[in-house]
Amino acid sequence: MQAFAFSTVPLEPERHREALAEPSAGGYASFEGWVRDLNEGRAVHRLEYEAFETLAVKEGERIVAEAIQRFGVARAACVHRVGGLGIGELAVWVGVSAVHRGEAFAACRYIIDEVKHRVPIWKKEHYADGDSGWVNCERCAAAAHDPHEGHDHASEEASPVAVTGTATPMDYSRQTALPEVGESGQARLAAASVLVIGAGGLGVPVLQYLTAAGIGRIGVVDGDLVEVSNLHRQPLYGAADLGRPKVAVAAERLRALNPEVQIEAHALHAGPDNVDALVSRYDLVVECTDNFRAKFLVNDAVLRAGKPAVFASVHQYEGQLQVYRPLPHWPCLRCLWPEVPRDGLVGNCAEAGVLGPVPATLGSLQAMQALKRILGLDAGESPSLVMVDLLNLETRRLVARRDPACDHETPGRDRDPGALPLELAFKTLVEAFESGLELVDIRESWERAHDPPGLQIPTHLPLSELVHGHAQFPADGRYLIICAHGVRSLSLTEYLRSQGQSEVYSLRGGLAALRS
Amino acid sequence: MNSIDIQYFAVLRERAGIGRETVQTSAATAGELYDELAARHDFGLPRAMLRVAINDEFADWSRPLAAGDRVVFIPPVAGG
Repeated sequence: MQAFAFSTVPLEPERHREALAEPSAGGYASFEGWVRDLNEGRAVHRLEYEAFETLAVKEGERIVAEAIQRFGVARAACVHRVGGLGIGELAVWVGVSAVHRGEAFAACRYIIDEVKHRVPIWKKEHYADGDSGWVNCERCAAAAHDPHEGHDHASEEASPVAVTGTATPMDYSRQTALPEVGESGQARLAAASVLVIGAGGLGVPVLQYLTAAGIGRIGVVDGDLVEVSNLHRQPLYGAADLGRPKVAVAAERLRALNPEVQIEAHALHAGPDNVDALVSRYDLVVECTDNFRAKFLVNDAVLRAGKPAVFASVHQYEGQLQVYRPLPHWPCLRCLWPEVPRDGLVGNCAEAGVLGPVPATLGSLQAMQALKRILGLDAGESPSLVMVDLLNLETRRLVARRDPACDHETPGRDRDPGALPLELAFKTLVEAFESGLELVDIRESWERAHDPPGLQIPTHLPLSELVHGHAQFPADGRYLIICAHGVRSLSLTEYLRSQGQSEVYSLRGGLAALRS
Repeated sequence: MNSIDIQYFAVLRERAGIGRETVQTSAATAGELYDELAARHDFGLPRAMLRVAINDEFADWSRPLAAGDRVVFIPPVAGG
């Protein structure tokens, strides 16, 4: 059977189900969407579905193929009705067979959610009062993945999309009207792929503008969950998203914004073990993290891969922007900062404070630089560090040059911190205690007061005191260094190792990892 | 003595409590100037962590200063 099909006659789940049988399959899960009798308080007595079939079948097949690949299931299929349907009739059927039930349920859920989001199907409702109308249902796409936030209308489960904005192809006319862009520029954007590392204050506007502009494929890398302290500067997320992986929420919102863009969510932190593989799959990298360690890691990876990158950072009311291009004379991050700054020396957003529009401004500049690179509009641009001061509304462009002493040819060489792992992962604080290492909490006093660890960690050495020399890290002993998310602890661990202290480790993912 | 326009960014601005100032100095190089100002404002950041730009171009710390130069001290920032 076809992976995705439309049917003008009533669906027969029993028959569809047979086509999924396979000797290796130990389970089968299915979903049926039925026509409901109520839409936003109006009684509905029948419905008509209409689809743009050529496009819809292609998109539907793609969704089923994605589900098979992503969840490793045996077989999957989806059939959707078109034409007139009465209350209680079966509007859509999804079936999945798999070795184990877990993948079958997950793939089934994925297919119906994605079909609702992405497949162009319209729905005409006939109301009990004799009135009728094509449902204009913009909120469907936003609500489709979250039943709690759902709005009530007839056969919500059965109506895959019916979203005006989703069903209509994107209209890029306001950007193709620019003589430098045009249709050929739009084609370049559609053919391009961009990796956005960090989905925080900088990453949010980058992702929104690149998705809206119609970049063909966008990867988003972030291992964090949405926290309530993020919302003031990361308005892609909402109060209902707290505790969910940022990349999952971002992918939903971005797909709803522009279904033509392929969004790839990577729920992990960029690290030495994955950064090269990630970078290799995209044309351009936009670096939006909040720590030096990640910035230099990405710098080295783009140098090795010979790919362009756009870096930005913010501090309170200021920001810095730097583009790297793989050209012989072009400076990299290390040309400007030969000595890698230690995280914690100059504050991050948590310590120093920040107003939302500051990362939003710098992120928008990053999106602009990325579009310019892809469109070839940056020909006249020379290497520079752009500094933006939003308190005084000043920008300053400093001419930067390649440092002949910087090892562009072998980036990352001799920076191997040693054979011992820098990070250790534990499931609970008790496990960490039992490891025999002495635990050291390097969070600031206010963080410790605000969020005490479940068990007592008696040794407290705030990082700010260490970096300013008001406290000394003990030279002897075996230590596990702990902070909130494992970024500052890793940076301190690297520093201590570079000073010859071998038995220090960082708690991977920090206290947050123990709790989640 | 040269008259030099100085601008501070990020953590240096916080420490100095001002964004810019004009100083009369006998410092011969950008490095000497930084040391002089670091003592006055208690910056606590070693030069190696910073960059200096003179007249909108990154410069070496050994670069001689001339009257009227515009000097910017830049710490790296990482927030995002």
